[in-house]
Amino acid sequence: MLQDFDTPEATASRQGWLALLGRAPLDLLEGALAGQTGTAPQWLRAPETGLVMAQARAGGTGERFNFGEVTVTRCALRLAPGGAVGVGYVMGRSHRHAQLVAVADALLQDPLKHPQLAQRLLAPIRQHLTECRAAQQARAQATRVEFFTVARETGQAGEPGDSNEDSE
Amino acid sequence: MNTTDLQQIGNGFSNLTLGSQAVFRTALAVLSQPGRIEALASDAHTPAQCDPAATALLLALLDADSRVWLSPAFTGTAAASTLRFHTGCTLVDGPAEADFAWVASPAELPPLHRFAQGTENDPDRSTTCVVQVGDLANAAGWTLTGPGIQSRVTLQVTGMDVGFVRQWADNHAGFPCGVDVFFCAQDRIAGLPRTTRVEV
Repeated sequence: MLQDFDTPEATASRQGWLALLGRAPLDLLEGALAGQTGTAPQWLRAPETGLVMAQARAGGTGERFNFGEVTVTRCALRLAPGGAVGVGYVMGRSHRHAQLVAVADALLQDPLKHPQLAQRLLAPIRQHLTECRAAQQARAQATRVEFFTVARETGQAGEPGDSNEDSE
Repeated sequence: MNTTDLQQIGNGFSNLTLGSQAVFRTALAVLSQPGRIEALASDAHTPAQCDPAATALLLALLDADSRVWLSPAFTGTAAASTLRFHTGCTLVDGPAEADFAWVASPAELPPLHRFAQGTENDPDRSTTCVVQVGDLANAAGWTLTGPGIQSRVTLQVTGMDVGFVRQWADNHAGFPCGVDVFFCAQDRIAGLPRTTRVEV
């Protein structure tokens, strides 16, 4: 089932904001989390890079098949002893990127810090992703070709063997 | 697959490679010289009800291909989630399916024949048991003989009774099949491979 994680309501859940953070560009994360990454976190799992088999469905609804392997970097950390555990999964090999996602995840789990960070970090990411999608759609739209097709005359009697073709 | 509760999980080895290699070297030493008691240094976090030595040993030995059985006392503790998170191992319900068994106390150790024994062709497929015991000492108790021991060595394992010695005789007689045991007491560890004879 396809899920839309990009609405403000969906990103209120942890699954939702991790889906946003995983696609956020590094400079957006660096800007919003400046000052939060000064102290060394307690690593549960230091950043490590590996391969993940990505699966897809043809047309979004077909049978699931193995699409290909993607490089993924992941980590898990605690910002303070006994604090919330933040996890970061990003595509690519940037350890810094995974760490920032994990830091953001840990901070967003704190009810006191959540509203401010949601506004400072999640909203710009959502806007950035919307712009990216709009730009991509505009590029695709520019290549659109309008085909003018001539509707076939139907119902011509006397031509054998074409009754099946007309049934479309 | 169940999601693990990350909140209870502590850190693993701060240096994964060197930490697990150091533990492996110690495990090799105590298994090749039965009766030798060694301290197992590790900076990994130890969950409640777990011995530091047993935790470090399993963190070093397990990987995603290992099947692990935990004794009932570990139910509800962070032991299972810690192993799952740090090593990716699979947890199994029965001792017979396990490559490794983690036993919380001597009282919880099932009869040894219930563990995987390996086969004549693949004796390495037997279970390696990690048993947490009260104390370990080279004092009057058991007398060990066999490969890796010059003449004889004494080992006292607090909590293991004479019933275990009888089971061990059967285990030894089944060579090359049979289980190997690590005894852990706090941060110390001793090994008992299937080649060792135990006399009271």
